[in-house]
Amino acid sequence: MKVISSYSIKGGVGKTSLAVNLAFALCEAGQRTLLLDLDPQGAAAFYFRVGNAEKFRMRDAHSIADGLYRNIRESDFPGLDIIPSNIGFRHFDIVLDGMAKRRKQLRMILEELKSDYDVVLLDCPPNITLLSENIFKASDAILVPVIPTVLSRRTLEQLTGFFREEDLPCEILRPFFSMVQKRSKMHREIMAELPALQPGFLKTVIPFSAEVEKMGLRRMPLLAYSHTCEAALAYRALCDEILSQLGWGTMKHTASVGMTRSPAASTAATATAAPSTSAPARTSPAIAAPAGVTAIP
Amino acid sequence: MQRKESVRLLLPDDVGLECLRKDWVCEIHRQKSGTLTFWDTYEWGLWFGGCALYSYGEVYHLCAREEGWLGGVLCEEKAGGRRRFWKDFETEPMRSRLEGMLGLRGLAPVVGGAFRLSHGDLRNKMGKIVCRLDWTSVSTGKREEEELLQSCLVMPLLGYEAEASHVVDKLIECGAKTPGDDPLVVLLQHANLEPQEYTLRPAFGLKTETSAREAVGCIVRTILEIAFRNVPGILNDIDTEFLHDYRICLRKIRSVLSLVKDVFPAEGTRLMRKALGDLARQTNRLRELDVYLLARDEYLGLLPPAFHPALDVMFKDFSAEREMEVQHVISKMRAASFQRLLGEIGEYFSADTRHEPSSAAALPVDQLIFSRIYKSYRKICRLAAGIGAETPDEVLHQVRVACKKLRYLMEFFSELIPGEEASEMQKVLRRLQGRLGEFNDSSVQQKSLLNYWEQKRSGSEVAPGLGGLVSILYHRQQQTREQIVQALEMFCGGSTAATFKRVFKQPAHVPVRQPRG
Repeated sequence: MKVISSYSIKGGVGKTSLAVNLAFALCEAGQRTLLLDLDPQGAAAFYFRVGNAEKFRMRDAHSIADGLYRNIRESDFPGLDIIPSNIGFRHFDIVLDGMAKRRKQLRMILEELKSDYDVVLLDCPPNITLLSENIFKASDAILVPVIPTVLSRRTLEQLTGFFREEDLPCEILRPFFSMVQKRSKMHREIMAELPALQPGFLKTVIPFSAEVEKMGLRRMPLLAYSHTCEAALAYRALCDEILSQLGWGTMKHTASVGMTRSPAASTAATATAAPSTSAPARTSPAIAAPAGVTAIP
Repeated sequence: MQRKESVRLLLPDDVGLECLRKDWVCEIHRQKSGTLTFWDTYEWGLWFGGCALYSYGEVYHLCAREEGWLGGVLCEEKAGGRRRFWKDFETEPMRSRLEGMLGLRGLAPVVGGAFRLSHGDLRNKMGKIVCRLDWTSVSTGKREEEELLQSCLVMPLLGYEAEASHVVDKLIECGAKTPGDDPLVVLLQHANLEPQEYTLRPAFGLKTETSAREAVGCIVRTILEIAFRNVPGILNDIDTEFLHDYRICLRKIRSVLSLVKDVFPAEGTRLMRKALGDLARQTNRLRELDVYLLARDEYLGLLPPAFHPALDVMFKDFSAEREMEVQHVISKMRAASFQRLLGEIGEYFSADTRHEPSSAAALPVDQLIFSRIYKSYRKICRLAAGIGAETPDEVLHQVRVACKKLRYLMEFFSELIPGEEASEMQKVLRRLQGRLGEFNDSSVQQKSLLNYWEQKRSGSEVAPGLGGLVSILYHRQQQTREQIVQALEMFCGGSTAATFKRVFKQPAHVPVRQPRG
């Protein structure tokens, strides 16, 4: 199981859009995926029409793990589960602070899920706190969306500086350009300059797109309703690049998770695309369905 | 992480998605329909193996039969044409799964059913899918015939289990029930078909006081019925087992008539035995060819690959001859004379037919049989006494025939023999028969192969392969001879001899019981 985080100290850079679409693309590529929405705003779950998690209270602190597992929700896309956020998640920092191994708690919690998922994707809140340190310790890769602007560049430098200071492995930081406007001269200049200064930059560039904005109206990932627009293609390319960088090879996108149709119409198709029997979300509908049913094309 | 299992419900005809629309937004997707053809063998090998095989379009699907519904597909194979034997399938999972359940049996269509599937999603007020449904209806597919079965699979989504339970409750309120029979069962019932265990060793319901004529009559009628039931399979040439079993049945009937003498009038018995012999003889060549063709892989495995082309020629000849021979047999069986003969045999042994009295007809069957079995056993022991490396094949053939008679006697009247001892004795006998059978097969095959070579392919390219094969068979025969000597020693002495004596030898002083009535 790999843990990938969508993280930036700065807000409004496209973290949630990345998390939501990457989760979808990973699922589409046959990865059993869990999207953990750690941002108390709860936007990632909102995009999947999933209600808030049960309220996290300080008295639940003895078992953050149980609280998270209990809140796992199957999305409309077989193979993709979500743990929605809750405003109570803002207490995480206080809870974690009082615990032993306080920087490794999240890693230990996620470890329990390794037989159920191939990838856990973390949608992180825009700050740098104890929870963020847990995220850094738990992640195999931290994807950092960077809008090619001065402020974004500055926050990236702050992040790499923090990694160096805390002796964290800088190589897990994988920045990439997000919300890029080709016509902006500043964007072009920063894009030409920054990758040479910042190792690990991903090649894929996510363009600014009005289609991405519509996710809020449609309440589903961009890839679920538009798979030919530039941004959708870019998210898929980013998924391939990440899979390749993480040593999983480039996966063929099956286009069967619901890309070409409404999110609901995908059960059996996905089961065919990802026939791993240990992937309950994908296989359960197909296995449970009568033979005469699954076989009828 | 535990995911909740799906729940299947059988629905009354008049219940549809409407009953759920009040609480959820119901979406129906992927409405599909198709006619599935279910396949099985004459022995219902798949059914009793807990599986179902069906074809849809050009694809064969093998699935497990689970309680209440067909289970998930275990394996599937796209086939350009029809598949009859397990070897006809090309993919390994299918072949290996089918081999054990089919053996030499061929598949035939059993029943067909039209399946209509709707896949549905139930959404909550947020538009989130909270439960999935598979709605299936099954009918015969014939016009104006109502649905036989309507079923709904309620599939919970992780985190939304309560909604699925609510759906189940709603459907139950509307009259849904947990399923009983799966669609295959329902289709079979509708077609008046009931899978039954098939055996060549049926129970006859004999008792010690049953009269000999009643017992033999019952045995003959039962076996005759099995023989008759195999005839359609021969006519349709579904597999070689139909003919094989038909011939075994004829042989068994002839045996029981000769082994238990004077039960029916002598002349009638003679005529019946002759008629049964004639019927069997009509099929001799076809069975021979079947045996060769079934042994094809084994023969090829005995020789180096260089000889295979030569043997292929021979098997092609056999195959072509079989094509003709099977037509010959079918035409004989379709002839009025054949049907008439079967009718006459059936009538002669009918329970309603009254025959002249005969000397052993009214004797209690156990007395007659036990002494007969012991005599047969003693005969085998006498024949076995002098067998060694130099003994002519014919003597071993006589032992084989004597063993077969003894086996039949013990099999026919096994209900009268104490259970544990009967099975132990039969086990030792079967082992001996196995060796004798191998010996005989090797011997007969050598002769037949040489005969084939002389008649058809003398001096041809087949010769080297054939020569090699005959040598191997000869060598195998000699090896088997040694094993037979050992098996005979075991069978004719020690505890087996003591058991035969104890169970079957009639004390000399015991008077023969008087016939009933």
